Amino acid sequence: MRRFLFLIFICSNVLAAPVSVNVTSNKGNPVFRAVVYLEPVEPTDFPVPDSVPDSIPTMDQVDSQFMPHILVVQKGGQVEFPNSDSIKHHVYSFSQAKQFELKLYRGAKAKPVAFPDAGEVELGCNVHDWMLGFILVVDTPYFAKTNMEGEVDFDVPEGKYKVKVWHPRIQDDESNLKRNIKVASQSNISFSLQKDLLQDLSGFEEQTDNFSEYE
Amino acid sequence: METLPLNKPSYLLLVVLCVAGFSGGLCAQEISGLVQGNLTKTDSTSSYQNQGTGILREDNSGVAIAQAFVKLNLELTDELQFESVANYYQDGEKHLGFTQAQLVYKPIVNSKYKLRARAGFFYPRMSLENVEEGWLSPYTYTQSAINSWIGEELRIAGLEVSINSPGRARRSPWSWELIGATYKANDPIGTLISWRGFAMHDRQSLHNDKIRFAQYPTVVDENLIFHPSYVEPFHELDGNFGYYIGAHVRYLNQTSFRYYFYDNLADPLEVNEQRLYAWRTKFHSFAFQHKFNNSTRLISQWMTGSSVMGNSFVFVNFDAWYLMLSHQQNEHRYSVRFDRFIVEEDDAIPEDINSSDGYGLTFAWRYDMSANWQLGFEQHVNKNTAQNRVTLDESINVNQHQSKVVIQFRW
Repeated sequence: MRRFLFLIFICSNVLAAPVSVNVTSNKGNPVFRAVVYLEPVEPTDFPVPDSVPDSIPTMDQVDSQFMPHILVVQKGGQVEFPNSDSIKHHVYSFSQAKQFELKLYRGAKAKPVAFPDAGEVELGCNVHDWMLGFILVVDTPYFAKTNMEGEVDFDVPEGKYKVKVWHPRIQDDESNLKRNIKVASQSNISFSLQKDLLQDLSGFEEQTDNFSEYE
Repeated sequence: METLPLNKPSYLLLVVLCVAGFSGGLCAQEISGLVQGNLTKTDSTSSYQNQGTGILREDNSGVAIAQAFVKLNLELTDELQFESVANYYQDGEKHLGFTQAQLVYKPIVNSKYKLRARAGFFYPRMSLENVEEGWLSPYTYTQSAINSWIGEELRIAGLEVSINSPGRARRSPWSWELIGATYKANDPIGTLISWRGFAMHDRQSLHNDKIRFAQYPTVVDENLIFHPSYVEPFHELDGNFGYYIGAHVRYLNQTSFRYYFYDNLADPLEVNEQRLYAWRTKFHSFAFQHKFNNSTRLISQWMTGSSVMGNSFVFVNFDAWYLMLSHQQNEHRYSVRFDRFIVEEDDAIPEDINSSDGYGLTFAWRYDMSANWQLGFEQHVNKNTAQNRVTLDESINVNQHQSKVVIQFRW
C-alpha cells in the first residue's frame, strides 16, 4: 500500500523520464547482469522498502548455489534466505555492509535478514565452499540489472542523478563507474569499461552434486 | 578377554554426547536415516562371511536388509558439531554399532584459507565413489574392490586437520585442500586382502566388528602362521600412531583429483592374545572424477601398496583400480564399473599362499521414485583367482555373479 501511495505521489507531482544505460567491456562486448542504479543527487526521503512477506526479496539456495547470484536490495530492506535443497547450508558474510551467519536447515524457514547499510555484501557457505553470492544494497529504489545486450531501461522522476554501475567481475576504478546526469527527457548513457573483466567463474554454478557426504 | 576396539572413554563420550543431544535440546540436531532391502539371486560360492572363499557378501538367494542406518548431526556450537552414523546389519558377526562418530570443527573465518579439523572415528576422504550419507555409493550397490576393502578394514580413530582454499573465493577456478591425520587402532588392516584377497560388497565394518574368512590350514595351523580365521580391524596393538596425508585439487565443480598416502606405522611383530597381528600397511590412493556435463561423469581410483605381518611371515604388494561411467537422466541413474584387483606375495612362508587377483563388472540402475523412495536393479559378475583355495581343495578360479532388486527408503 505504501509503495502504491508512493507511485501515486510520483505520478501526481513529478514528471517521469526514460533513462537507458548500456554497459560494454573493454573488448566491446555487452556486460550481462551488471547492476545499474540511479542515486538522486538531491537528498530524497525514500519510503522504507516494503516489508510485506510476499514482497521481500529472496536469496534462495538451489542445487547448492545462491539463486540469484547477484541480488540488489534497497537500503533498509530485508532479504529472505529460503533453502530449496534437501541438505543444510550455512550462509555467512564478513562484508563491511553486513556481517552475519545463518544456518539454513532443510525444511525449516529462517527469519529474514535486514540490510540497513548500503554496500556490497559477499556471501559464502561454510558447508559448500564453491557457493558464492552477492547482495548489493543501494540507497535508491531505482536499480536494475542489464540484459544480455548489456542494456537496462528506467523511468525515473526528472532531476539530477548519479548513475552507478557494479558487477563483481568489474575491476575499473570507481571514477569510471559513475556518471552525473540530469534527467529531463530521454537520456542515453554508455559505460565502456577500461580494464579486463575478472575471469568468468560461472562454471562453479554448473555440475554441482546434492550428495551429502564429505561436505 | 576381548578388548574393545575403541577405548572405553571414547565410547562413553559418544554415548554421552548422543544422550545430551536427544534430551537436552540445547543444540540443533538433524536426524536422517536409510533402510535398504534387497532381493538377491547369487551363485552358490560360499561367502567369506560364512568362512567360504567367495568374495561376495551373500551366498544365499533371497530377501534381506542390506543397509539400515541413522545419522545424527548435533550442532554443539556454531563451529563445532558431532556426527554419528549408527548401523544395523542383518549379516556378519556384529549387527549393531557405529561406522562413524566424529566431532567436526569448521570455524567460519574471514580468510581465503580455511582450517578444518575432526576427531573421532571416521573415514579419510579418499573415495569419490562413497559420497552419499552413511558412506554409501549413489552409483552401484556393490562397491568397487578398493572401497569394499576400505569399508571393511580401514577407519581412523584419531585426529585430522586440513587447510582448504575454495577457488571461487579467490576468484580462481582451482580449489585445493591439504590434509594430515594421525590415529591409532587400525593395526590389523591388511589381514583380509592378504588371505581372502579383495572382495566386492557394501557391508561396512562396525566399530566393534569381526570379519570372518575361510579356515585356510596354513593360517590356523599352530605350527605355521597360527592366526584366527577372522580379523577385528579396529584394534590398537603396538601403541604406535599411524598417519596419512592427502591433497585435493578441484577445477570448478567439473574435475576432481584426490591423492592420499596412508601408513599405519604398525610394528608387524606385535600380536595380541587373540593372535591378531599388527600389519604394517601403507598405500597410495589416487582418485579422479570428471563430469562431461550435468548428466555424465567418469570416476576412477587406483590404489597401490603393501602389507607385512610378523617377521615377513606374510608380505604382499597389492594394486587395485576401477573405472566407472555414470549417467543420470531425470530421476534415473545408470552406472557401469570395471574393477581390477591384484595381490602378490613375496614372503618368508611360501606354504602360506597369499596371491590373488580378479576382475569385476557391475551395472546398476537406480530410480528415484520420490524424495524418499528409490528402486534399483544391479547385475554384477566377477572372475577371481585365489591361489590359496588349493589348500582347501578348491579350484583356484571362481566366477561369481549376482543380481539384485533393491528398494530403498530414506528420510
